Amino acid sequence: MDGSQLLQLVASGLVTGSIYALVALGFTVIFKSTDAINFAQGEWVMAGGMIGAFLHASFGLAPLLLLPVCAAAVALIGLVSERLAIHPLKAPTPMLLTLITIAVAITTRAAITLVLGKAPAGLPSFSGSENVAVFGATLPPQALWVFGITLLVMIGTHYFFQRSLLGRAMRAAAADREAAGLVGINVSRMAMWSFVIAAAIGAVAGLIITPLTLTSVNAGLMLGFKGFSAAMLGGLGNLHGALLGGLVLGLLESLSAGLLSSQFKDAVAFVVLLVVLFLRPAGLLGRASTERA
Amino acid sequence: MKRREFLIGAGGAAAAAALPGALRAQAATVKIGTILSITGPGAFLGDHMKRGMELAIEEINAKGGVDGKKIEWVFYDAETQSSRGVTATRRLVEQDKVDIIVGGGNASGIALAMVPITERAGMPFISTEGSMQIVNPVAQRKWTFKSTIDDDQILEVAADFWEKRGIKSVCLLADSSGFGASAKEQLEKVAPKRGLKVLYESFNPGDTDLTPQLTRIKNSDAKAILCWTITPSGVVFLKQAKQLGLGDRAIMHSYGFVDDRYMKLAEGAAEGTFLMSVKFPVGADLPDSDPVKARIADLTKRYETRFKQAPNQFVAQTYDAINLAALALKGSGGDKEKIRAAIEGIKNYPGVGGTFSFAADKHSGLSKADGCVITWKDNRWRLAA
Repeated sequence: MDGSQLLQLVASGLVTGSIYALVALGFTVIFKSTDAINFAQGEWVMAGGMIGAFLHASFGLAPLLLLPVCAAAVALIGLVSERLAIHPLKAPTPMLLTLITIAVAITTRAAITLVLGKAPAGLPSFSGSENVAVFGATLPPQALWVFGITLLVMIGTHYFFQRSLLGRAMRAAAADREAAGLVGINVSRMAMWSFVIAAAIGAVAGLIITPLTLTSVNAGLMLGFKGFSAAMLGGLGNLHGALLGGLVLGLLESLSAGLLSSQFKDAVAFVVLLVVLFLRPAGLLGRASTERA
Repeated sequence: MKRREFLIGAGGAAAAAALPGALRAQAATVKIGTILSITGPGAFLGDHMKRGMELAIEEINAKGGVDGKKIEWVFYDAETQSSRGVTATRRLVEQDKVDIIVGGGNASGIALAMVPITERAGMPFISTEGSMQIVNPVAQRKWTFKSTIDDDQILEVAADFWEKRGIKSVCLLADSSGFGASAKEQLEKVAPKRGLKVLYESFNPGDTDLTPQLTRIKNSDAKAILCWTITPSGVVFLKQAKQLGLGDRAIMHSYGFVDDRYMKLAEGAAEGTFLMSVKFPVGADLPDSDPVKARIADLTKRYETRFKQAPNQFVAQTYDAINLAALALKGSGGDKEKIRAAIEGIKNYPGVGGTFSFAADKHSGLSKADGCVITWKDNRWRLAA
């Protein structure tokens, strides 16, 4: 294994990791404002890819133009899901919300299956199809789009939560529902916005990965699972943690498959995840224990 | 009145006790049970496979059925989950009391999970799935048969192909499903016999990045890469093999990937891919002397008329399986042992997927002669030279 091949493994790990990071970001956004784990996140990623592929195949929409269209379409799915399934709840405890998101996930997948069919679907690369060589590693141009868009979404989300009024109100609602309510924040409206934003982020992730990997109605389950692992690895509820967790998980998978054995790819990644959670149970475990107290 | 009713009832009960076979023979229909996956990851294949069966049953019923009795078809969706397949199998055996089961969820893993139940119940089962373990070891698979080609047979076809091209070192990139695992097991047996050096790589069904595996393969001296999966990961394989400059090796896929939709999704990267297959996709390329050629053209025409779409070899797989089942049901009067023995007795049945011959020690109908190597060229299948 020489340097350029090692670099190839790192590069492909970073591409996969970027997608995991975006999915983890979706988990984080909803966790931040509701304390719930949203198991529909993976399905939204799938929905973004499927809707994008459909619009491209039927109406010839350019892939770049699809980004805002699909983000809006899936955000609408997120909005409707929240209004129909979450909003009517009288006592929205995190556990209840988490369970409901499983139902949302199943419903979303069934709806997409009915409307868009079961066949795998693909998209052309956003620009060109000639591979680019970076320090001896060969990358499809789409990989660069994945890096760039992931970075933009990450920065955008960061500023949204740090600077914008809505973002800060959402953080306040997550920190203390009652106090936030007392200062005039519509807490249930904040949950709605977190669903909309998480769904839009999911759609973007699904759309930028589809040219590389294809998508199908069943792709969401695995992506959601990996994204959740990444969020746990980085620390749930932490934006930087989502990025770090995603990239580390992607790199772990790629390097263990390339250097050790492809048979143990997932095993290595999940053993590391377990070890990290044992030593630093900062994510879900930490939160859950304070809640019970 | 009461008394007469009692007499009729008693007479009926006596008859039922004395002549169960005779009573069963009076049933108005013969029952075929089917389990396929038309949802879940296997759904991609399931629709075609289901239609293949539908067409076969419609044709048989239109011709008057089996022994003058119509076929009643009981269908369950396994949703590509072994547990669903197992539940459905129990229902077919215990509630629906079908005469034979055809189709094992279009995933080898599901068919394998069904076998213990059908074996215990003494239920004839014709699987339409790939893995050879479904019918092997035959001693433990008394009631189980298969309408697909065995992995060791198709791998022998691959070995011939490699030999002709002077390739001695190859890589098997198989997914970790039952389908992929079976290929690995068989190649481990075939390779030493044919003097092949094999590098084994693996991935999970549905994986979206195969760069690590392909990088290792690039480092090796493998001159051919045979991918073994039915999931979209196979498209990622084609795209990334091209991206990483592996085009100088023979890029190959198994019969599980012979689907033009997959080839089109890979865009340019599929051009020149070799696939291990039955002859169905290249019917038009076959020499006129091959008896399968006319049967393929014939089924294609009927399928297109009925469903307004082109059939693929998965259609042939299930179409043949139903016809084999109907052949075995004929004259059996619902006696399961007779049905079983009838399948074992089928010799040189002219199917669309090939020519089927079964025997007491051979529960897989097709053989090496029914396999071939095809290639994807200019948006269509061609017979590889």
